[in-house]
Amino acid sequence: MLGSEDNAMLEVIKPGLETSIQDWPGRYGYLNCGYPWSGPMDSWSFRLANVLVGNTPGDAALECQFIGPTLKFQRATVIALTGADMQAKLDGEPVPLWQSIAVNAGQTLAMGSARVGARGYLAIAGGIRNPVFFGSRATFNKGGLGGMEGHALKAGQVVPVGEGQGHAGRRVKEAARPMIATDKRWQVEVVLGPNDDWIDAAGHERFLATHWKLSSKSDRGGFRLEGPDWTFTERAYNKLPEHGSDPANIVDHGYPVGAINLAGQTPIILVADGPSGGGFINPYTVPQCAFWKLGQSKPGEVYRFQVISVTEAQQRARDMAARCTPDSLE
Amino acid sequence: MIYEQPRFLPGGDRFLTIEFGDELNLELNFRAQGLAKLIAENKVKGIVEAAPFFATILIHYDPDLIGFEDLKREMTALISTLVTLDDVELDSRLIYLPAVYLDRWSAEAIDQYIEKINPNKKRDPEFVAELNGLEDAAQMVRVHSGTEYWVAALGFWPGTPFMMPLDPRCRLFAPKYNPPRTFTYKGTIGMGGGSTAIYPVDGPGGYQIFARTPVPIWDMSQKMEPFREAPHLLRPTDRVKFVHCSLEEFEATERKCTEGTYQINAVGYQKISLKRYRAWAESLDRNARF
Repeated sequence: MLGSEDNAMLEVIKPGLETSIQDWPGRYGYLNCGYPWSGPMDSWSFRLANVLVGNTPGDAALECQFIGPTLKFQRATVIALTGADMQAKLDGEPVPLWQSIAVNAGQTLAMGSARVGARGYLAIAGGIRNPVFFGSRATFNKGGLGGMEGHALKAGQVVPVGEGQGHAGRRVKEAARPMIATDKRWQVEVVLGPNDDWIDAAGHERFLATHWKLSSKSDRGGFRLEGPDWTFTERAYNKLPEHGSDPANIVDHGYPVGAINLAGQTPIILVADGPSGGGFINPYTVPQCAFWKLGQSKPGEVYRFQVISVTEAQQRARDMAARCTPDSLE
Repeated sequence: MIYEQPRFLPGGDRFLTIEFGDELNLELNFRAQGLAKLIAENKVKGIVEAAPFFATILIHYDPDLIGFEDLKREMTALISTLVTLDDVELDSRLIYLPAVYLDRWSAEAIDQYIEKINPNKKRDPEFVAELNGLEDAAQMVRVHSGTEYWVAALGFWPGTPFMMPLDPRCRLFAPKYNPPRTFTYKGTIGMGGGSTAIYPVDGPGGYQIFARTPVPIWDMSQKMEPFREAPHLLRPTDRVKFVHCSLEEFEATERKCTEGTYQINAVGYQKISLKRYRAWAESLDRNARF
């Protein structure tokens, strides 16, 4: 069942490209059984959308990818849009981003394609109240679990929403918003490891010097990068047969979320719905402070990677969390 | 090899991988599973979850509750209590899964790969047999099905088992497909490196394939008893035994599984002791084959 009738709220007129219910941080606790966390790709924008409408930062809300949905509100409420600019209109009137807005019963929100950024977030006061699966409402679309009937939104569905205490007219201060790149170039932080010792010095230099292009074969499971070939240390060749025959093969191991996973010669950044383990090395890992950049980039855009330390990455995550609070509102 | 000191490897800002060694070996997986058990029992502050794999454990921690260096210290202390691995016993269910070896579905997926992707690909059963110095595909089937498999980890996709043969006479190795196969039927059994896996859903794949089970290991309908709590069948430290079945049995079992009336044969009273396993494994002639 999709929640009781009395909190039925959001009618899906058009579902958009792949609009899904997510919560933050997602489905923690089941990596040992192979379940991905899921959750929003850009948790910075996501958390701020919730904060704007008076929800807790992690409440369930919508992630709209590339082309947003058209939704009709069955009750009056307060909403907020953050992240990518998807040219949203409420009954034909443009809706500003990074602000809380009052909507009336019967109004329709129509979102278009992402102009700046790739993923837009829509939070509704009270939060979405789809069923909880393994401790989370987040959708793992490919796996058919969480969300609405296991998948992204479909036309005709009615999404349940809780009772909220939101106020219209709140704004996120400019300084607290992520700066979504408009020139298609991103500087993305990485932390060395876990398997950096499989790549030789030339390989590391090449990785950091290259402008990597985000492939169109990318989704919430993995971001494929196009660029030069990798070179390896002795360890990649001189190994026992259980590692597998490719230099990038290793005895199957768990994959950190954010790992830059080297599938043969193709690096794939493992993101929200990515595999939890397998037989390829992970020379670098993207820390959580840089995830929003992945979430807001489109295929064809270019990444350059910059190494930071574990401690620095942890500090930047704290700085980001500090911005995702009511202190950032005006 | 088994490292004298485990290696601590960072993964971004909230993961630590502990590598106990770099081979397929029950002892290494016992360390990983044993440490996971200790972490759960001791409720180590700041650890959100821990996922053991063959020779490693991936720890997800909350850096606001514990720093990387403190976590390393705490884990080193816990690991030192694992030195008496000989005394560790792990609960291990034994699950019997019917399987058709040299099945037509794997053959179909291989045909498709040869036709569309790589005309020079040697057929998987014969390829694995040849690589491992076996007489033919029939012997490969005898060897592969001649052992219980240890579920060393679940991963890649929810509920997908990564398994190693417990009988050293049944160890096989195989490279993975390069490039990968675009299609594999759900329930297909295959191997890559030294690990055996079962495909949970239809999809692409890289393992050499040669058998198929009609029993789902991932079932969102959750109709059958073992799925009531979760949509995945297997757990870390389970054992799996493949039981040869005919095509007719396969089809009948598949029907019953869809209806939710099939009784999955899972035996639940056993424990595995590393000491006893090691004594048995060392008594065997490792060059023997079935």
